[in-house]
Amino acid sequence: MKLPRYTRAHLWPLAFLAPTIVGLLVFRLLPIFWSFGLSFADWQIFDAPSFAGLDNYVGLFTSPTTLKVFRVSALFTLLYVPGAVGLALALAVILNSGLKGMAFFRGAFFLPYITSVVAVTLVWRWIFATRFGLLNNALDWIGIEANPAWLADPGFALPAVVIVSVWRDAGFYMLLLLAGLQTINDEYYEAAKVDGANAWQRFRKITVPLLSRSLFFVLIVALIKSTQTFEITYALTEGGPNGATTTLAFAIYHRAFIDFEMGQAAALSYVLCVVLGLLTLLNFHFRRRWVHE
Amino acid sequence: MKTFPLALTLSVAAAAAQAQDVTLSYMMWDPSQLEIEQATIAAFEEANPGVTVEVQAMPPSDYWPKLSALAAAGDLPDVFAMSSGFVDGWAAAGNLADLGPLTEGTDLSVYYEGAMAPGTVGGAMVAFPQNWVAPVLYYNRDMFDAAGIAYPSADWTWDDFRDAAAALTLDNDNDGTVDQWGYWVYGRYAHVDTWVFRNGGRYLNEDGNRLALNDAAVNALGFLASLVLEDKVAPMPQEMEGIRQQDVFPLGMAAMWVDGSWNIANVRSVADPEMNWGIAQVPMGPDATEETAAAYAWADMMAIAANSEHQDMAWKFIQHMVGEGRSASDFLGGKVPAFRAIAESEAWLERDQKPDNKELILEIGAQNVYTGFSKNWSAWRGYAAEGTGGMNGELDEVFNGRKPLNEAIEAFTAYGNEVLAR
Repeated sequence: MKLPRYTRAHLWPLAFLAPTIVGLLVFRLLPIFWSFGLSFADWQIFDAPSFAGLDNYVGLFTSPTTLKVFRVSALFTLLYVPGAVGLALALAVILNSGLKGMAFFRGAFFLPYITSVVAVTLVWRWIFATRFGLLNNALDWIGIEANPAWLADPGFALPAVVIVSVWRDAGFYMLLLLAGLQTINDEYYEAAKVDGANAWQRFRKITVPLLSRSLFFVLIVALIKSTQTFEITYALTEGGPNGATTTLAFAIYHRAFIDFEMGQAAALSYVLCVVLGLLTLLNFHFRRRWVHE
Repeated sequence: MKTFPLALTLSVAAAAAQAQDVTLSYMMWDPSQLEIEQATIAAFEEANPGVTVEVQAMPPSDYWPKLSALAAAGDLPDVFAMSSGFVDGWAAAGNLADLGPLTEGTDLSVYYEGAMAPGTVGGAMVAFPQNWVAPVLYYNRDMFDAAGIAYPSADWTWDDFRDAAAALTLDNDNDGTVDQWGYWVYGRYAHVDTWVFRNGGRYLNEDGNRLALNDAAVNALGFLASLVLEDKVAPMPQEMEGIRQQDVFPLGMAAMWVDGSWNIANVRSVADPEMNWGIAQVPMGPDATEETAAAYAWADMMAIAANSEHQDMAWKFIQHMVGEGRSASDFLGGKVPAFRAIAESEAWLERDQKPDNKELILEIGAQNVYTGFSKNWSAWRGYAAEGTGGMNGELDEVFNGRKPLNEAIEAFTAYGNEVLAR
């Protein structure tokens, strides 16, 4: 049987798309549904899964270990999002003010984002070392002799992970914001200057409103990213000391590939999914209040 | 009758074909040991034409997750390193081949019986020892000499240890920062558990399926905590963050240290060649008698995957790797070959290197040995990928002065029993 000409013409694109589509279906979509089913199963990987009803979900909200994961994750987001977005905004505004060597600094600030996380985290481990670390020695030098154990003290370990994460991601957000800044017409600033507005007023009344769409986008990205932090935690603290830096994504990995509790890991993934959905909804809800369309 | 020669021919042909293209996969957790083993592996390939051995080595914190993932995928290597601490769980999951039929006709009396013991689970031999190890007390003789005190001896009490550690803790320039610690300890199994067992302590109940610390165990943990927190003769673990734990002693930052005998190799390579040091046995605890005090020693083993298609060749490979073909110099520092004749040879004692008393390790192995391993041991004890949690994580909270010992015990017992119930 010979297919009509137009059908053949439509099949060709499909044939070329097939590898990607099949890949997406098998390696993305299927696991998404599969893991939803698994979240209701007791499966320790070596044996066949068995139906467990809501046990995994109930377990998550009653186990002190997981409750701690939720607390740590919330704290991480609270520290990371303002830190990363704030720093990115500051860098973007400075770079946009037409300083000399802007191209160099733009590249330099972006560099952390494209360096190997593991390699760079090794350097950070050295910086954070208690006795011989660069940071504590620098603090000593300016007269602060507290010498915190950055990576071994639960009170400092999470801030340490936040510092590295912010350092790494701020350059990326900066680039997005910089693109937004460059769409703002200089005439607004000139007009404001003529009217006697100072730098802060110009920033507050012109930059922020006109940048709000970029800022909103960056905020959403940062928020989502904050729940997915993994590589830096893995290479810097392995979730320790004693669970102090075990955030959701790391906990999912640990539950799945160290403890081999696949059902619990799947349930935790769906909790993360719901949390992300709610956060994004909330954002869109408040968007109207401050984003300038 | 006609079919017989045909069948014979076929099976001979099949055997020949099999011998021709067998690829044996082998995974282990010690990259530096692998460098030494390469020559032995090459010799095996040479002696068995057509056999290729594919080797992979990675540190324990990567090794166990990877091996578990391979097990789940039904894709285990034919031969893999197996720890005494994991063998129960792995045997229970049905991943390990029964070596019984394979070992028939092999003379096992040439190996240490104690080293083979952990490999037998439920009456079936599922793992075979390559070498065994035991935690020892490392001590810096130069520092003992400078302080004018006698080296650790077999009749040392814990008070003697405490006094020595105090005498060895020095603030040379009186700036309030200790320059030389008497002792170095954190929540790690190889640092702590010998003290517990040498005090007659036990973490687990008789059946080994629940955590229930006896008084001797609690007292031993209390003793170690007091060395850090009250006597201040050992640093808080967090002060050493950023220095590899196994480098603290060889770098001369602490005069005494308890860790596995395999670290002899690391001390040799990191320490100043001029540094004079030795090893001793961890002193017996005040709660123990000669009967209840247990020595801590265990075997590093090799196992064959239950679903391996080359079990005979795999067993041949294991015999090659553990047997008489090896030389004493293949076993780094404090690893004792399971093959007795090599371990008890003059060559293994390495008289030209430090420490000058390696026979101490053999003496420890000859004592009443207890390991305290169980199913999911690494999770409740806090080892390898779980090293920041479990008992290790909680004990570090104690040693760092953030949590009272009784609260930590309560926390890791609850968590451990959750893990043991899995």
